[in-house]
Amino acid sequence: MKKPQAESMLLEVKGLSKRFGGIKAVEDVSFGIQEKGIISMIGPNGAGKSTFINVVSGVYMPDAGEIYFAGEDVAGLPAHTMASKGLSRTFQLEELFINLTVLENVLVGCHTGGSSGILSCGFSLPSARKEERRLRDESMECLREVGIAEKACNTISQLPLGERKLVGIARALAMKPKLLLLDEPAGGLAAHEVERLVQLIYTLKERGLTLFIVEHNMPFVMSLSERIVVLDEGKKIAEGIPDEVKKNERVIKAYLGEEVA
Amino acid sequence: MKLMSKISVVWVFLIVAIIVVPLTSSSYIIGVMCFVAVFGALGIGMGVLMEQAGIFSLAHPTWFGLGAYISGILAVQGVTPPWLGSIVGAVCVAILSVLIGAPLLRLRGYYLACATFGLLLVVEISLAQLGSITGGHEGLMGIPPLTVFGFTFETDIHYYYLSWGLCLACLWFLYNLMGSRVGRAVRAFSDSEIAAGSMGVNVPAFKLKIFVLTAVMASLAGSLYTFYLRFTQPGIFGFPLLVELMTMIIIGGGRTLYGPLLGSFVVLWLRELIHIYLGKLLPRMTAEVDAIFFGVLIIIILVFMPGGLAGWVDRLLGFNRRVIEKATG
Repeated sequence: MKKPQAESMLLEVKGLSKRFGGIKAVEDVSFGIQEKGIISMIGPNGAGKSTFINVVSGVYMPDAGEIYFAGEDVAGLPAHTMASKGLSRTFQLEELFINLTVLENVLVGCHTGGSSGILSCGFSLPSARKEERRLRDESMECLREVGIAEKACNTISQLPLGERKLVGIARALAMKPKLLLLDEPAGGLAAHEVERLVQLIYTLKERGLTLFIVEHNMPFVMSLSERIVVLDEGKKIAEGIPDEVKKNERVIKAYLGEEVA
Repeated sequence: MKLMSKISVVWVFLIVAIIVVPLTSSSYIIGVMCFVAVFGALGIGMGVLMEQAGIFSLAHPTWFGLGAYISGILAVQGVTPPWLGSIVGAVCVAILSVLIGAPLLRLRGYYLACATFGLLLVVEISLAQLGSITGGHEGLMGIPPLTVFGFTFETDIHYYYLSWGLCLACLWFLYNLMGSRVGRAVRAFSDSEIAAGSMGVNVPAFKLKIFVLTAVMASLAGSLYTFYLRFTQPGIFGFPLLVELMTMIIIGGGRTLYGPLLGSFVVLWLRELIHIYLGKLLPRMTAEVDAIFFGVLIIIILVFMPGGLAGWVDRLLGFNRRVIEKATG
């Protein structure tokens, strides 16, 4: 279903709501993400940021509202369909495949880039072998891009947290996404690791990728983002460029509490 | 590359050993080795399903039994020649496993185990009660031997090569599969369904695919088993076979592809040894000793070698990729 005014927007969300029993995790949230650039979502703990990302990426079904991706109505589609449409994401707790090597993790990200089925894979037909070589090259390229190509054959458990986050990003990049959702990419990272991450995010932006970042780390978000959406108790309370958001009274209240202001 | 050449050496060694063994062995050894291959083929599929795909299905003996009965009945009634009956059996099992797997695979963990265990009991009882077609409790008699293009498989040696051919074909197929795009998707969703889904893996579809594939392999093993024994009985495909397969997978190691085959070899030969030596010593106690022995062995393996014998052999030979490729990577 095409929608005319959504065409300039890569992702457009209208009146999105998600409830868990009596708890309204996300309530009537609307905004759009334009192509190319970095937009962030911030909010205190429990503001509904992760729920929002899970609804948009198809992990949860929305209770109400519309989601348009590249002009197409995608609300309620399952996660694997969203992935094949060009939306890729990382996870707050990495969710890496612990029984696979680093390279294999990224290769799973290449899943939609391949088409070999059970029989061609099982009989190891030339077409499947050729595809496998291509996917391996692509995956190594993604690992080089995030800077951990030398760890390709390690298991996930051998990596420190910072590098695990990078594997998650490499895995998401392997999908050749139009939109990359990063769920708390700087969470739990040391200062030098955050720096490395900022560099990487700039490189990705230069490449023309659209990024949507959900994050807690304020300096990180303020320095990177072109626009910021602020969520509190499931509702959007502010949206704008970083300097506007920083001065917004409701944002300050949400973060620091009533009395301090 | 070094790892690859090591693996090729093992393949060559395995195939040569399998070809040579019957030339120098008694028909007793050949007979036991036939069962090693059939249960190996069955266990490899079940190991992949349970340990690598994380699908805790207990219906494996059922697919084995249905393959055996369908091809057996078709051959007894003279509807199709045995070889065609085996294929018909595999197709029927494929269709049935799709119909049963599509709803049941929505369940996880113990719930799936309970549901598939129910299926196992239902099929076993049905086979016993449908006396006019299946021969009931007494079993299906008068099954003809397998014939392919005028060649009749009669002796143990014929079935030895046939069953090892099937077993190695299953091993080779799954070896290729689990290292490929499909196998990675399967191993990925057993770690995290949400992440695999977000990477574009259609998790329910891949669950069903691997479920049906291993069911078809079990069905082919069942057909071969029934034409080798020329007899089949409902009790063969019930709870005891399930316990037997679990024992093989735990002792051999399900995380490693060839583990259940190694488990099949070890379990069946240990049992033969118990029966040969204890049969003279304690003639009335062999069944009890057998049960206690394997019970204790399972506990020892679980405590000291959680990866099973295959996991231990892999470490010994340096097949553990994590160690090997770390040096090159």
